[in-house]
Amino acid sequence: MEKPLISIRNLKKYFSVKGGTLAAVDNISLDINEGETYGLVGESGCGKSTAGRTIVRIYEPTEGEMFFNGKDVYKLSKNELHSMRRNFQMIFQDPYASLNPRMTVLDIVAEPLDIHNAYKSQKERYDRVIELLELVGLNDEHANRFPHEFSGGQRQRIGIARALALNPKFIVCDEPISALDVSIQAQVINLLKSLQEKLGLTYLFIAHDLSMVRYISDKVAVMYLGHIMERSGTENIFENPLHPYTKALLSAIPIPDPQIQKAKQRILLSGDVPSPINPKEGCRFVERCSYAIDRCHKETPQLLEVVPEHFSACHRTIEIMEAKKRGEEETLITKKKVEKTHNVG
Amino acid sequence: MSNILEVKNLKISFKTFFGEVEAVRGIDFNVERKKTLAIVGESGCGKSVTANGIMKLLPEPPAFYKDGTIIFDGKSILDKTNKEMEEVRGNEISMIFQDPMTSLNPTMKIGDQIVEGLIKHTNITRDEAKKKAIQMLEFVSVPQPEKRVNQYPHEFSGGMRQRVMIALAMVCRPKLLIADEPTTALDVTVQAQILDLMKDLQNQFDTSIIIITHDLGVVADIADRIAVMYAGQIVEEGTTDKIFYETNHPYTKRLLESIPRLDMDKNKPLSSIDGTPPDLYIPPTGCPFFDRCTEAMVICKDSMPEFTILPGDHKSRCWLNHSMVTEKEES
Amino acid sequence: MDGTKLTKDMFMPATHEQKNMEKIRRPSTKYWADVWRRLKQNKLAMIGLTIIIIAALGTVFGFGINGRQYFEQNYDAINVHPNATYWFGTDDLGRDLFTRTWQGTMYSLIIGFTAAFIDLAIGVIYGGIAGMASRNADALMMRVAEVIYSVPYMLVVILMSVVFSTQGQGTSLLILILAMTITGWVPMAILVRGQVLQLKESEYSMAAGSLGASKGWILRKHILPNTLGPILVNLTLTIPRSIFAEATLGFLGLGLQQPKASLGNLANAGLAGLPVGNFYQIIIPSLFISMIMFAFNVLGDGVRDSLDPRLRK
Repeated sequence: MEKPLISIRNLKKYFSVKGGTLAAVDNISLDINEGETYGLVGESGCGKSTAGRTIVRIYEPTEGEMFFNGKDVYKLSKNELHSMRRNFQMIFQDPYASLNPRMTVLDIVAEPLDIHNAYKSQKERYDRVIELLELVGLNDEHANRFPHEFSGGQRQRIGIARALALNPKFIVCDEPISALDVSIQAQVINLLKSLQEKLGLTYLFIAHDLSMVRYISDKVAVMYLGHIMERSGTENIFENPLHPYTKALLSAIPIPDPQIQKAKQRILLSGDVPSPINPKEGCRFVERCSYAIDRCHKETPQLLEVVPEHFSACHRTIEIMEAKKRGEEETLITKKKVEKTHNVG
Repeated sequence: MSNILEVKNLKISFKTFFGEVEAVRGIDFNVERKKTLAIVGESGCGKSVTANGIMKLLPEPPAFYKDGTIIFDGKSILDKTNKEMEEVRGNEISMIFQDPMTSLNPTMKIGDQIVEGLIKHTNITRDEAKKKAIQMLEFVSVPQPEKRVNQYPHEFSGGMRQRVMIALAMVCRPKLLIADEPTTALDVTVQAQILDLMKDLQNQFDTSIIIITHDLGVVADIADRIAVMYAGQIVEEGTTDKIFYETNHPYTKRLLESIPRLDMDKNKPLSSIDGTPPDLYIPPTGCPFFDRCTEAMVICKDSMPEFTILPGDHKSRCWLNHSMVTEKEES
Repeated sequence: MDGTKLTKDMFMPATHEQKNMEKIRRPSTKYWADVWRRLKQNKLAMIGLTIIIIAALGTVFGFGINGRQYFEQNYDAINVHPNATYWFGTDDLGRDLFTRTWQGTMYSLIIGFTAAFIDLAIGVIYGGIAGMASRNADALMMRVAEVIYSVPYMLVVILMSVVFSTQGQGTSLLILILAMTITGWVPMAILVRGQVLQLKESEYSMAAGSLGASKGWILRKHILPNTLGPILVNLTLTIPRSIFAEATLGFLGLGLQQPKASLGNLANAGLAGLPVGNFYQIIIPSLFISMIMFAFNVLGDGVRDSLDPRLRK
């Protein structure tokens, strides 16, 4: 078994806010192998972006360890961390906010080189930037322009060029396509994939669009309110989802086919994602889960390997799995769908 | 009249210090009563300008209506004064926006914001208005509406805020609801809920809906008709079935292909549209999609094709429909 | 298109060279060029700018023009109303008020600008550090600043001029400026700190952090350049405040003493001329003070409007 490039163990990130403690990331562990793309999915507020930022140490972790090539990144001194930063970079969600509006594209892409003194002459700096721009499908005529002159897709590509400047091994992609038009999303994904092949990159791909995650990831972890609810290889998650939350997520994906979409039976998740402040004992998903029983309110389920290489954090996983084989999944549902009353005022 | 809204040859431009930017370059469409029209296109194609233009919410200057008519419920919008438009907005035509955080007043209670609209447009007392506000919140499935009506926007989550926006927009029972990218900022589970809600509202209140989005996948269920916009023009228009199953224009085809699907082949690159939409500062003389079209012909560069009427309720603007091409294929 | 014959070869596929996928057609617009252009359109702000330029030029040329020195006393020409020889008239010691007024303007502008820029320097450094520091350090720094600010500057000026006054010369220029800036930097520091706190959370600052940038780097390269707008606006308002402060001090008899002329002490001296009908002696310096204040204020408003991103097209 090859040793994973990234190993995250018991990562926690808590924020103290008015009203208590916000457990944004509450004890997650995962391994990412070299050359792999690991998908981290979940809805807004589930903590995936916070996890990504804590992993590259933009936020300091409250607890936990992150091993990069065997070294615990969280225990490094300031100097060691500074040089270690060349190995992992981040691509941000908002292409309109992650580029300094007052800097030229040249300066933006060259910034990592400037910070780490990675060139000997201005010419070397310039050449390297042009090389990076061309890698992402732009060219030298764009170098002296400002971010506001570009479209969202182009800005995101500038962000990618910047992340590649120091030849990192590991890139955390924090919702890199969520702010882009659907037609441009594919462009960026294609670019990320080809760069991965060309440069041997490892990605942590954070997103809420399951179709894209399925396309690009080798492994997937599903997050909900700071916890990992399910994780496994991509195909396992999508072909055979075990956790009720994963199932609901998958059924909510709109299908661009009017006849199929109209006929689709959706698992309706009532309400919104509840607040992660001062979390109590018990499964985080219990308020919205159709299969919830008493035990789910009282005991936090552990992430267990119920099937080889397939982990789920749900007390009833095996029970539901067995029932599904017999076609009796419906019988385990405890919560009925609430009929809406229409008030015509 | 079966059409609640009729737009003919609408042209809207912006005066900037470096010249005129033609945001909307001559579009025609109708919205029938109790039906939903989806206007689909990438960022910058002019769909938001169109929506704001119908509501006369564009700052004039720098915007100006270069040409065209907008007829709502038999009356011309462009002829109305600002005062008359104030009577129309929120009352007969309502709008909901992409980002509910910035469209709700953070310093006012939710209830007050809804009541404000009611009092302006109808003759009821504040107490009655508050009751209606609570009813509306209940209708859009905001839990504990009597309690939440006194809360502020920041106390609601994204999906809830969007519901509140919808409540605000619908409280005066408008004849037309314009939804500008209503689900773009939402998670997929909440998106489904909001779209369902809009459908319910349409059935309940006989409201026509214009939904504006860049994601064709979102409208498959909710739209009756779809108009595809590119660079300020409508390039294809028709019923939802026609657009999805008998797609004609290359741009629409590429848009459909680029929608992420759960069953995409991992070994092939995703279908995307290379390049970016043209800048409307110097609008292209020919077909605006020329630079990015894989089926482009020489004529497409300099000449704009006319609409070809296709079987059923369907039309498309593409030189590929011209007899020169179709005859060649037949021979 | 009408009347063009459609030939078969027009329907052949177009080649790649004929397409142009990533071109940007718009002329490049640099941020400050944009701001300047919008400012130029604002007539009121331009009037303000013109007045300031005239005032500045006047201080340079106003001296030499009629050859008279500010301290030259001419007992034959006491309290002369403005006429062809003495354009602004003379004071009760026969000194040419034209020269003295321009000298006063010079001192007012020097004091105004210097005090404002010292405030700027201290404020930016202090505010920048506080904004980037930890919550506790920031809180401490802000409390200290607030305490300093709560001391009325008038008191400070009086104390300092009493302690440091040189015999017969009154308060020197240096002491005056020092007294004004000891407390005056706090509003700028608070402004800068607020901006830093906000921009610290911006994604591009975070991106720089993930690249390995130190706090100082982020402050210098990312935050401060984006704070220039509000700082500039604040500056256009602190300059007139300092000028007015100096004028007030002069009027009260503190600040620059005779025979040196400042707009404040000219107004003070002019007060005595009122009951005897020498209105010009007080009107002229007051007018100058008002015009300069007005000019800076409308310029400041104009700068603020030009920086407003919502008006950007």
